[in-house]
Amino acid sequence: MSSILDKLLAIVRRDLLTAIRHRTGFVLTLAGVLAELAAFYYLSRAIGPSFRPNGVEYFPFLLVGTGLYTFFVMSAQAFLNAVQEAQQTGTLEVLMTTSTAPAELLILSAISAFAGSLVNLVIYLFAGVAVFRAAIHANLLSCVTVLVFSLVIALALGIMAATIQVAVQKGSAVIWLLGSGLWFLSGTMFPVQSLPRPLGFLARAIPFTYAIDAARGAFIQGQSVTAMAPTLAALALFGLLMLPLALGGLSLSLRRARQCGTLSLY
Amino acid sequence: MNKVVFESVRKVFRHRPALFNWVGRERTGETIALDGVSFTAASTEVVALLGPNGSGKTTALKLISTMLLPDGGSVRVGGFDSLRDSGKVRRQVGIAVATERSFFPRLSARENLVFFAALDEVPRRERMRRIEEVLCITGLEEQADTLVMKFSSGVYQRLGLARALIKRPSVLLLDEPTRSLDAAATSHLWTTIRGLADQDTTVFLATHNFAEAAALADRLLLLDHGVLLEDRMLSGHETAEDLRAIYFQRTGDHGAGAEDEAVPALHRAEATR
Repeated sequence: MSSILDKLLAIVRRDLLTAIRHRTGFVLTLAGVLAELAAFYYLSRAIGPSFRPNGVEYFPFLLVGTGLYTFFVMSAQAFLNAVQEAQQTGTLEVLMTTSTAPAELLILSAISAFAGSLVNLVIYLFAGVAVFRAAIHANLLSCVTVLVFSLVIALALGIMAATIQVAVQKGSAVIWLLGSGLWFLSGTMFPVQSLPRPLGFLARAIPFTYAIDAARGAFIQGQSVTAMAPTLAALALFGLLMLPLALGGLSLSLRRARQCGTLSLY
Repeated sequence: MNKVVFESVRKVFRHRPALFNWVGRERTGETIALDGVSFTAASTEVVALLGPNGSGKTTALKLISTMLLPDGGSVRVGGFDSLRDSGKVRRQVGIAVATERSFFPRLSARENLVFFAALDEVPRRERMRRIEEVLCITGLEEQADTLVMKFSSGVYQRLGLARALIKRPSVLLLDEPTRSLDAAATSHLWTTIRGLADQDTTVFLATHNFAEAAALADRLLLLDHGVLLEDRMLSGHETAEDLRAIYFQRTGDHGAGAEDEAVPALHRAEATR
C-alpha cells in the first residue's frame, strides 16, 4: 500500500511540476473559467428569474451541471493526452518496462490527471459562488458522496479512452462522444424532462445524468444522502459495472499492444 | 548459470491493411522479426548483438525487457518466463533504448530519475543516494538540475543509461548506447559497462560499431533477417577487423551495413575488467 502511495505521489508531483512550468496554460485556464461563468451568468439573466428548472435558479443549475460535465470531459481528456504524449515521445514503452505493472501505472496516472480536473471543478464552483453570487445550500456529506461516485465514473471513462487509444490509437472518439451527443442528453444545460420521451429514456441510460442530478441536489438544494438514495444507487451501479469493464479492457489492450508491437504507435 | 534464455523465439509483426488502402500504398502482410532464435547468456557476460538494420537486434532487446511478447518459443530471465511472470522479469531488467526522447521534457534530469526510481520501487531512503550514484556514473552531475528539454542528444543518451541503472538491474539492455556520444563519453561508458559486467550484470549491447563490440563483448550474436547466423564466444583478442570479417562473411553483405568508427582507442584488454 505504501508503495502504491509512493508511486502516486511521484506521478502527482510530475504532473504538478509539468503544469506549473506551463505557466501560460495555467493562466489561460483560469481566464477561460471566468469567461465561461460570465457567459452563463448573463445567459441566465437574459432568460429571466421565472425559468426555474427543477425548482432552482437557472445560474446555479448551469454552474453545477456544466462544472461537473466539464470535470468528466477534462478528466478523460487530460488522461488521454498523457497517454498520447507518452506514445509520441516513446515514454510509454519505457514506462512499461519499470517494476510497476502497466495497468497499475495507468490507473495511478489517471488518478493524478483527475486530481487536476477536481481542482479545476473546485475553482469553477468557488468562482461561481464568490464572483457571480450563485445561491447554493450545500450538504457537505452529500457533496463528498456524489464527488466520490463521480470520480469512479470519470476514472472508468478515462481508462476506456486510454484503452481505445492503446488498441486503435483513437481514444479521442470517447472525447468526441462526450462533447457531441452525451452532453445534451445528460441535462447539463436544461432538465432531461424537457427531452422527447425516447431521448428521455436514453438520458436515463447515461451515468452523467445521475451524477449531475445528484450534484445539483447536494450542492444547490442541500439534499441528504438518504433523500438521494435512488440516484446514488444508480450511480454506484454504473461505477460497479464500468470500472471492472474498463480495467479488463485496458489489461487486454496493453497485452495485445505488447504482442503486436504497437505500444508506441499513435 | 544462464541469466537469459531464448528458446526458439519467434516474433512476427503483422501489417494490418488500412481501411481505404487503395488511396495510398500502405504495406500489408507480415514481417518476421525473429525466426526461431535460441541463445543463452550468463551473468557477468557482455553479449554484443550485431546485424544489419532490421535484423532483429532491437526486437530481441524489447523481448527481454517485456516491451514485446514473443509469438512463439520462450524468453526467460533469471528463471522467469516473460509471458507468465513479466513483473518479475521487469524487476531484473534495465533498458536504455536508442531513441532517448522518452523523458518528461519539463522535468529536470534529477526529477525524471526520482520519478522513474519510484516506479522502479527503489526504496525511498535509498533513492537520492542511488540517483547521485547513477548521475556520477554517467557524468551528469552538472546537468542534474537542467530541464531535460534543453539537453543535446548525447546527454539524453547518458540520462537513458542513468535511468536503466537506477534499479540496479541484473540484466542491462543497451541499444546503440554510444551512437550520439563524444569520444571521452564513449570511453567512460565502455569502462562502466565492463565494470557492471564484473559485478554480475549481464549486458546486451546492440550495436553497429565493430570496435565497440571488440572492446566489450564476451560473446557475439550475429542476426540477419531475424535469423541467428552466429553465436560465438570471443577470446578478448579479436579486433574490430576480425568482427567485420565475420560480419561480412556471414551476412554476405558487402555494403555499408555496419560501422568501424574512429572511436576511442580502447581495446578490450585496456578496458577496466
